[in-house]
Amino acid sequence: MSRQLVSDTAREVAGSVRAARENRAPLRIVGRGNWLDAGRPCRASSVLDIAPYSGIVEYEPGDLTLTARAGTTLAELARVTRAEGQWLPLDPGGSPESTLGATIATASAGPLASSFGTPRDQVLGCELVTGTGDVVHAGGRVVKNVAGFDLVRLNTGAWGTLGVITEVSVRLRALPALDRTFAVEMSAADAWQWLRASEYTPLAAELVSPAMSTILGTGASAVLLVRLGGNEALVSAAATSLVALGEVREVAPSVWDALAASEPPGSAVLRLSTAPSRCPALWERAAAIVERAHGSAHATLGRGVVRCILPVGGQDEDEMARLRGIIGALQHLGTSVVERLPASLWPSLVPPSAADPLSVGVRNAFDPDRLLNPGILGELA
Amino acid sequence: MTTTAPPSHDSTLTTRLAAIVGERRVLVREGELRSYASDGLPGYHARPSIAVFPGTRDETIAVVRLLAELGLPFVPRGAGTGLSGGALADGVVLLGLHRLTRIISIDAENARAVVEPGVVNASLTRAAAPFGLHYAPDPSSQTACTIGGNVAENAGGPHCLKYGVTLNHILAVTALLPSGDVVTLGNADGENDGYDLLGAYVGSEGCFGVALDVTVKLARNPQAVRTLLADFLSVDAAAHAVSAIIASGIVPAAMEMMDAATIQAVEASIYAAGYPTDAAAILLIELDGAAAGIDDDATRVAAFCRGAGARAVRTATDPAERARLWQGRKKAFGAMGRISPHLVVQDAVVPRTKLPAILAEIHRIGDRFRVKVCNVFHAGDGNLHPNIGYDATSADESERVHQAMSAIMQACIDAGGTITGEHGVGLDKLPYMESLFSAGTLGAMCALRDVFDPDRRANPGKVVPVHSCREWHAASSARHGGGS
Repeated sequence: MSRQLVSDTAREVAGSVRAARENRAPLRIVGRGNWLDAGRPCRASSVLDIAPYSGIVEYEPGDLTLTARAGTTLAELARVTRAEGQWLPLDPGGSPESTLGATIATASAGPLASSFGTPRDQVLGCELVTGTGDVVHAGGRVVKNVAGFDLVRLNTGAWGTLGVITEVSVRLRALPALDRTFAVEMSAADAWQWLRASEYTPLAAELVSPAMSTILGTGASAVLLVRLGGNEALVSAAATSLVALGEVREVAPSVWDALAASEPPGSAVLRLSTAPSRCPALWERAAAIVERAHGSAHATLGRGVVRCILPVGGQDEDEMARLRGIIGALQHLGTSVVERLPASLWPSLVPPSAADPLSVGVRNAFDPDRLLNPGILGELA
Repeated sequence: MTTTAPPSHDSTLTTRLAAIVGERRVLVREGELRSYASDGLPGYHARPSIAVFPGTRDETIAVVRLLAELGLPFVPRGAGTGLSGGALADGVVLLGLHRLTRIISIDAENARAVVEPGVVNASLTRAAAPFGLHYAPDPSSQTACTIGGNVAENAGGPHCLKYGVTLNHILAVTALLPSGDVVTLGNADGENDGYDLLGAYVGSEGCFGVALDVTVKLARNPQAVRTLLADFLSVDAAAHAVSAIIASGIVPAAMEMMDAATIQAVEASIYAAGYPTDAAAILLIELDGAAAGIDDDATRVAAFCRGAGARAVRTATDPAERARLWQGRKKAFGAMGRISPHLVVQDAVVPRTKLPAILAEIHRIGDRFRVKVCNVFHAGDGNLHPNIGYDATSADESERVHQAMSAIMQACIDAGGTITGEHGVGLDKLPYMESLFSAGTLGAMCALRDVFDPDRRANPGKVVPVHSCREWHAASSARHGGGS
């Protein structure tokens, strides 16, 4: 009675998965379709459409937790929570019309991860349908929970390959009293030194390349975008502390939406990462390569993550050769996670991302027939 | 309690273990093993067949590989401060990791450290102090509990309200799987690609192997701290103050509640902190961060408390007073232990809005079973610690305590909560797992365990009830893991 009940969504999805199993017809899990060009090409014969399964299932503002169907968009969540003075501080790149399910499945995060962490730090629970058609309720709806093995973290960022996410419970935060953004022209090294030594913890501190700065209308050189939240005294003091570093200009908070929406469809996107103290050096080298390739870049310095966005000018051999060279050079700089790439480049540039024995074991346990997004992690059939 | 009783120990095993770690580090005598027959949870006793204490990483690997070769089950143990019976080894090998106490490195620039699993939580914070850093998760047992144990349990603590639990502070683990294979989980030097196996490992209660080293994030010591004590004439009023503060957008570093029974126990002990003994509840609230704006937030927090009916709100005026206020909270379990021979410290979570209702329900349950429940807990997270002092030598009293705890667990589940927020399932919470999770979900947990430990030798019989796992059921017919 007290156990979580299987939702209608999960019941229907489980039916689809079982049918796919019988017919040996692998599924491509699709929300709003904003992520279809991300990840390796899938070997799927039919589409499992999650978008119709949308809407808030439970929202008690006093608990600062919310449960929604996987097809609910981030924009819808923002609208509902803002009315209560709350938010889900997740700002992945792409359209706000992306679904919550896809955001969790891909573990997508943006500049706010600097202070709020990535989806793994914000998801409390999820309902999912495994590749065997079983419905699993991972985690719960409360903010602390260590009951049983952690199937929530396992499925966050698994790209749907261990289960189709049908419902998600997340932790919300109260909106800060003030939320102001400042642009400061400074070097990556100075930006890191400020972040490291400062008493202030910005909501976000994102370094953007000259090309990106131009797109955002924040100037023609590299700038640090600093998002400050808190009460008046705190935000003013933090903003004042930036003055010593360079010219400080307040910019409209919409700059963050513009940053999220800045990636042209069809771009190649990869994230380079390292320990934060080495990020300024990584940034300098990556930004130079990206600039020569007419791309743009931004970096979450506190996390040591540099996001490189490269335009793709067609699918011909010459263009592929050019991209192969650029991406190879970028990958050489540090840990890389490739998000989007022309289909033909994946096999030669990116090794499988879940090929170690434990990962293969996990996949075998939850999707033994490789029915869910097969191929997306580069795994063998 | 589990009934399997493998051969107590054979001399070959003893000899081979002694060859790895030295004779003094292998315990086989009953009297010596008795010290390892329980953890922080009273009422459960189970003696290991052998206890072995490796002193280095290589010794640990050699021991686990020997156990794998012989197909022997084992139970990892840190400091044995756990409160769920998770470190009990019933007739199997106990693998103590408390001698692995090396802090391998502290990287101040990146605010992180690499430590061996036996490093004590508070020792890490002490070692980080010269760099202006600390390890944020702070269980009440932090002066004794180990980082390895914290990782196994996904431990929490008062300051997790703002800083997050253990999971949020672990960047990577070098794990020794039960098979003897060594794997790196997570990536200390960048993003993790592929499945979040580190996330699955943290909180796996020793069932997925043991950590050889752990890379943790350290937190910067805050520039300013304000510690407030608010006292209330009803628990309900205190709970409403909690809700108002959380809803305001202010994120206190910690927000702890203690009820009258707890306050009186603390004030009657050597840990007396100057709490008002006639209050129905107190809130201990800490704000930290930059100095700018902190007093404005403190003023607002005090106003929320008064608005909810606080009789008085006082702010610690110096570090000594702050330390005293916190000592009363952190030693509350010890203070309670003073009034009765045994103390069961429970752990459950409810949605924050359900706090007033669940506290009233816990009070009714205490009356019904004629037991005295003291509540001291992480109010900001809705993470309850209902504690009952009792005499475990009385069968009748023990039974009433057990029934009261079962009723409290069920009430928390019914309120939409969970059966443990930071102590783990261990043995104690096994009976409630089936109230909380469906057979399908428990089966998925078993399947995950089987990936890390296909022979099910690491901490056998814990976390997921054996009989509720479909696959386990087929494999192991009549074995039955249950509570007391």
